[in-house]
Formats: sequence, structure tokens, C-alpha cells
Amino acid sequence: MRIGALLAAAALLAGCARGPSASAAGGTLVIATTGDADVLLPPVTSLETGINVSDLLFCRLAELKPGLNTVDDSGFRPVLARSWDHPDSLTIVFHLDPRARWQDGFPVTAADVAFTFRTYVDSAVNAPLAPFLAPIASVAARDSLTVAFRFRRWYPEQLYDATYHMRILPRHLLDTIPAARLATSAFARAPVGDGPYRFTSWRAGAEIAIAADTGWFLGRPGLDRLIWRVTPELPSAVSQLLAGEADAMEVIPSRGQLERVQQSRDVRLVPYPSPFYAGVVFNLRRAPFADRDVRRAIAMAVDRQTVVRSVFGPFADVAVGAVSPMQAVWSDSIRQLPFDTAAAARLLDGRGWRRAAGGLRARDGTPLRFTLLVPTSSQARQQAAVILQDELRRLGVDVRIQPVEFTVMERRTTTGDFDAAFVSRTTDPSPASLLQWWSPGAGANIGGYADPVFESLTAAALRARTRAEAAPRWRSALERLNDEAPAVFLFSPRNEAAVSTRVTGVTIRPDAWLATVAEWRVREPQRAASDRGAARP
Amino acid sequence: MLGFVARRLGFAVASVAAVVLITFVLVHAAPGAPMLGSPERTLASPETIARQRALFGLDRPLPEQLLRYAANLARGQLGESFVLHRPVADVLAEALPNTLLLGGVALVASLLLGLVVGATQAARHRSRTDTALGVATLVLYSVPVFWLGLVLLLVFGERLHWLPVSGMTSAGIHDSLSAAGRALDVARHLVLPAASLALVQAAAFARFQRSALVDTLGAAHIRSARAKGLPERAVILRHALRGALAPTITLAGLSVPYFLSGSVLVESIFGWPGLGRVAYDAIFARDYNVITAVALVAGVLVALGNLLADVAVAVADPRVRLSG
Repeated sequence: MRIGALLAAAALLAGCARGPSASAAGGTLVIATTGDADVLLPPVTSLETGINVSDLLFCRLAELKPGLNTVDDSGFRPVLARSWDHPDSLTIVFHLDPRARWQDGFPVTAADVAFTFRTYVDSAVNAPLAPFLAPIASVAARDSLTVAFRFRRWYPEQLYDATYHMRILPRHLLDTIPAARLATSAFARAPVGDGPYRFTSWRAGAEIAIAADTGWFLGRPGLDRLIWRVTPELPSAVSQLLAGEADAMEVIPSRGQLERVQQSRDVRLVPYPSPFYAGVVFNLRRAPFADRDVRRAIAMAVDRQTVVRSVFGPFADVAVGAVSPMQAVWSDSIRQLPFDTAAAARLLDGRGWRRAAGGLRARDGTPLRFTLLVPTSSQARQQAAVILQDELRRLGVDVRIQPVEFTVMERRTTTGDFDAAFVSRTTDPSPASLLQWWSPGAGANIGGYADPVFESLTAAALRARTRAEAAPRWRSALERLNDEAPAVFLFSPRNEAAVSTRVTGVTIRPDAWLATVAEWRVREPQRAASDRGAARP
Repeated sequence: MLGFVARRLGFAVASVAAVVLITFVLVHAAPGAPMLGSPERTLASPETIARQRALFGLDRPLPEQLLRYAANLARGQLGESFVLHRPVADVLAEALPNTLLLGGVALVASLLLGLVVGATQAARHRSRTDTALGVATLVLYSVPVFWLGLVLLLVFGERLHWLPVSGMTSAGIHDSLSAAGRALDVARHLVLPAASLALVQAAAFARFQRSALVDTLGAAHIRSARAKGLPERAVILRHALRGALAPTITLAGLSVPYFLSGSVLVESIFGWPGLGRVAYDAIFARDYNVITAVALVAGVLVALGNLLADVAVAVADPRVRLSG
């Protein structure tokens, strides 16, 4: 089937190849960020700012459309690949756009794509995303502009895995560097890409700047420059915005800071679906959480609506399960355990956990008690933990809150040294990402959850050929997870980006907030000295 | 003098070695582990993290890690940052000058301000001015640095727009300025963080200086100077101040740790790309090599500060003899 050409035409019309008019283009977007980048080399970049910058320097073969449909080919638009086809169920052949160029003038070739795959899966590179490429058996160049991906098995998200996890790298600049030294190479701090922006400068701990590539093969980006300013303290970063020294922030993660921004006339909040959910994960290897009824009782005794309103006000929603609002399968009609303290008490009574002196429950002299790890880095989770502690005390459950540093929490949860942990999860667009947290044997399944019914439901969902077919199957899997209660799914913060009113055309793709930045503009009458262009062909 | 300096240098080297050893052991003993994956994204699988640990030698016994570190240090190698994928020496080389600029300006400003305020108080001993300045310096001395920084940022940056709130340079325009313009740009960005550090320490200097000057002004040689009919200004500046400087100079030497620890907070608040910020990030990420190297540099700076203070006291006060 040859649908790529059609997609290419659609993409041209949709805007990715349509540059702004000369009069509208220009301006500098200053982004306040609380963390510096680590490196600017996609396979090994893991800090948020590094990912945001390198996303604009390096292209994928194809990009997800705003609907984030990861199952059908129709959910993707061409970028480096002008088209693609599926000659058989295990192969995708990409046809590269002959106009695509590296910023040093070399063409982007099929050899670059094959090299990129080899680099990502090379254990010496240690790319964090390498496990997502495991279903791909090989990537081979057929000619300079044609490259074939061969899969180990058929599944509907083949195109997603082939395109989403890799940004194509320049073989001619990297193949002489030993794989283990790529992360520390000079290229990783001053890369040459093929994206709409080219690297300009990086002052460690202070500022990273990139400039528009006016000759980009898919059209000139709207903004001349993007500058990330690093300010570690969130209140100071927000002050930068309010003082007019910065134009945008990816997300304002605190209710107090959101309220500060709301009072500004020069900065507006731009809501977009959140890729996060947070909740209390139980360690099922430990008593009493091996008992499903105990877990369900605890989940049913928590008034999640109260927790969310008390901590976040209007800036978060109750989590509907192990799914983020960004994901296409999210729905507020997903069945959840009800808030029912009487039923919760009956469940515990039925399992022999009776109220003892002081109102706390015990069985055979053992109190119903657990320690809840909460990261000190999250004020919201600390506040929510206190409310949860109070609600569970009324049920007769003694919760001991233990605030710990983030690295300590990571260490203890990954080694199983915990009773319960208040964690946050960042999902990617595919609902299949939930398997990394809830599938037996998955490294991030910290609670040790294993359920054959859930496994068979997810396996069926993974086989669905279309989004319409997949949605109800994922829904069944999520509802099974809610019934089993390996965690109390508590909240999903509402993502609110902050953007200066002088910036127009702002839309945000939830999984990558700057994915559409090429369409953003700075109003010409409001341009300042810092907006003088630095774009280069 | 040379013998004194040599002895003090020997002591300083031993102190710095002890600081590095203690820091190395403590950071490895602290709960938690180096952040080798992305926080809560769980992108890094346990296998990936295990490979990273092996790559950095973190899977080896602690004594072996310590010996390797010591051997590398002897060759002048500080190792590689786990998080930034860079030689630690490069990270420090970029950050240290910025911290020295901030700390240096804050130290000089706090010394000058402290001397002037202290001298003014002493000259008007037990007057309303003395009382008012005494209360003011006490309040300032009690204020946490980070709180003062946030207040200055809010008032002079966000509300009044007089000074930039963050960074070391103006985004987008700094590089297009003339040399003088760039210097002025850095100076404007320096004002608020330096003031945050300097004001608190100036209060300490002022209180010490006042106390020392009040004692000195009652001394016999000062009474003689007054009896000769010298103006009070000349008595204070020429005769009293020099002898009363010793405690303040000693305090200035001892204040190096204050400026270093204060820079951790101030640099984070104002986005100043210095050593404090590097330390702050490294501690939370358990970036062992960076933490240990920062402790090494801080130890050297503190030792140097003390040494310089000792020498300066000897120069300022002829009664001091460099005997031990």
C-alpha cells in the first residue's frame, strides 16, 4: 500500500512545510527552565531541557499528528521520510525526502537511518530508549533514499516504534567516534542537526540558544531564535516571566505559582492534556498488600476528589487509572472503585482486620500499618499524603509518612525496599507504555504486580489494528487494574504552560510542548532588541 | 614570613585532603544512588542503569573506588560527571570564575559597607545613629540569605523592573553589545545576587568593626592623639582604624565558607551559573565526582582565605608576629 504520498500532500497542506510569510517571521522566544540540559545527542539525552532542545535540532522520519493516534498510519505525518509502505506484515520501507539536508550541507540518507538504529541499540551507547526498539530486527539501506525496517513480529504500532523513539543522526559526523564516547564527544554539546533549528551556543548552567534554519527543507520556522534560560528555583523562573525577561515556560507545576501567573496581564496560561498521573503504589510482595481486599479497601476509603481539590484547587483532576489525560484511551467513564468507607470497612472486617484499642485495626496482634514514601521534591504529594493519612486513620489504618529525597525514593522503590510509595508517572503517547509499570518482569513494575487476566487483556489490546478497535480493549485492561488496586490512582495535574501575550499562534502537542513551535510568532509591534534575528540559511 | 606561609600551606593541604576523604566517604554512604535515568519517566531500564554503574565503576567496593579516585586525583583527573557526561574539571572551570566574581564582589562590598557602618557607629558611640544602625545590622544579620534574595528579586526585579531577576547576561542581546556594554550587562545582573550575599555579611562586619573601634578609641595612644588636637576624623582613620581592622580581616577570612555556602542558595535563586549551582544540582543527582570535586575546590578556597587573612592581619597590625 502506498499511502505515504497522500500523507505528504496532507502534511504540506497542514502546515509543516508551509513557511510563514517573510513579514510574520522573526522574533526570539526566551524560555524559562528550571534545569540545564545534559547533552544534546538524542540517544543519550535524558534531562527535560536537553530533550526539548535536541527535538528541534534533529528530525524523526515521521511525526505524530496532534491526535496522538499511535495505532494507524493515518496518525502520522511525514518529516524526513516523504512516504512509507508496508510490503509485508514484518517490513516498513521508508522513502526519504531528497530535499532533507544536514546543516553542514550533506544530504540525509538511508545510511544515516541505518546508522541511527545501530547507535540506539548499541549497548555501549546505553540509550535509555533502546528497549522500545527491541521489536525491530534490522534496519537496512536499500539505496541512498530508501531504508527498510524489518520487525521480529507483526503488531499495529510498528510505525510508531520505528519513528517515535529515534531521531536520525548524521553518520558522516559520528561514525568515527567510539560508541561509548558519543555522550562525551564534542558533537554532543555542539551538534549538527537536520531540523528546523540549528545549534548556536550553550553556556553551561545558564543558557542554550538555537537559531532558525531559514533554508530548512520543510519551510522556514516562524521564530528566529529560541533561548532557554536556566533558573533552578521555580518562583524565580516564574519571576522571569512576570518581569518580562522570559516568554514561556513548559509547565507551571505549583498552585501558588499558577495563581501568580493568573494575575499577570502580560502572561497567559495555555492548558494542555497532561502526560502525568500520580498515585500510591503498594508493594505487593509485602503484607498486607498481597491481599487484594486490603488494597481495595484502602483505595475505596480515600476520597480522591477531596484530596485533589484540597491540594490543587482547579489545577488537577482525579486520575481515572493508570492512564494520563494525554493518552487517546483516557476517558472519565473508565470504571473505578467507588469512594465507599462502609464497604471498605466491611472488606477489612471480612479479612480479619478488626478495630482494636485506639481505633486502629489489627489481626493476630499485628496492626494494620504501613510506611508511605513521599519525595521531598514534591510539595503537592507531601500535602496529599497528609490528607490520605487522615482518611485512612478513620478506616483504622495507620499510615506513617516518610519523606525522602528523590534519589533515595528511586533507590528504595527499585530495590523493593518499601511498603507503599507516592509516585508520579510520565506516560508516552502509546497506551502500551503502561506495561512498563504494570507488567510482570518489567523493570519499573516496582510493586511486583502480576495478573494473568490483565496480561491477556493488554495482549488483546496490543493486537488491535485500529484506534477504534484498541480503545475498548485498553479500557478493559485499565478497569481490571482499577479493580485489582495495585495502587490508589490519585491525580493528574492539569498542564498549564505560561506564554507571554506577545507570542501568538500557540498550540501545544501534549507529548512535546514545542513540537509546533515553528508555527509560533512574536507580534511585530511588540518585538524588542532581543528579537533581532539570528536566523541563518 | 616565608616559613609561616609554608607551615600554613602544609596545614592547608592536609585539611583539604581530609575534606576530600570525608566528602567521598559521606556521599557514597548517603542514602540514594546517582540519578542515571530520567526522574520518574522510567526511561532507563534496570539493565541500562546497571551498565551505567559498571561504566563509572560504581559496582566496585568502596575502598577500591576510593583508591581509584585518589590515584586519578594525583594525576590531576577529577573524573567525569555521571549526569552531564563531561569531565568534572570542565564543569568546574566554567562555573568557578562566576562564583569567584559573585563572591569576590560580595566580599569587597560587604567589607566596605561593614567598615563604613561600623566606623560610623563607633564615631557616634551611644548616639541615636549608633542605636539605629545597631538595630538595622542586627536585623540584617538575622535574615536568611535565601529570603533576602527572594525579597530583593521580587521588589527590584519583578515589581520595579529596575534590575534583571535571573542569569548573568541578558538573553538575546548580550553578545551583540560592545565590550563595555557586556561588562555593564554582567554588572547589572550581579547587583541583586551580590547584594543578597553582601548585606548579611556586611552586618556582621559592621558589628565586629564597631566593637573593635570602640575598644581602640579608649586606648592610651588614641587619647594622646586627641590631646595633640588631631581632628576626630583623622584620629579614627589614621590611628584607630588600622589597629581595629584585625578582627574584621580575620572575620573576612573566616567568611569564605559563608560566601561559598550562601552561593549555593543565591545562585539557585538568581540563576547565576556558578559553583553553588553545580553543587546544588550534583547533590540532588548524587553526582559523586562533581560533589567531591566541589568540596575539594571549596576546601582550597577556604584554606586560601584563611591564609590570606592571617597575612593581611600581620600587615595591618604591626603588633602581630608571624610565629606559628
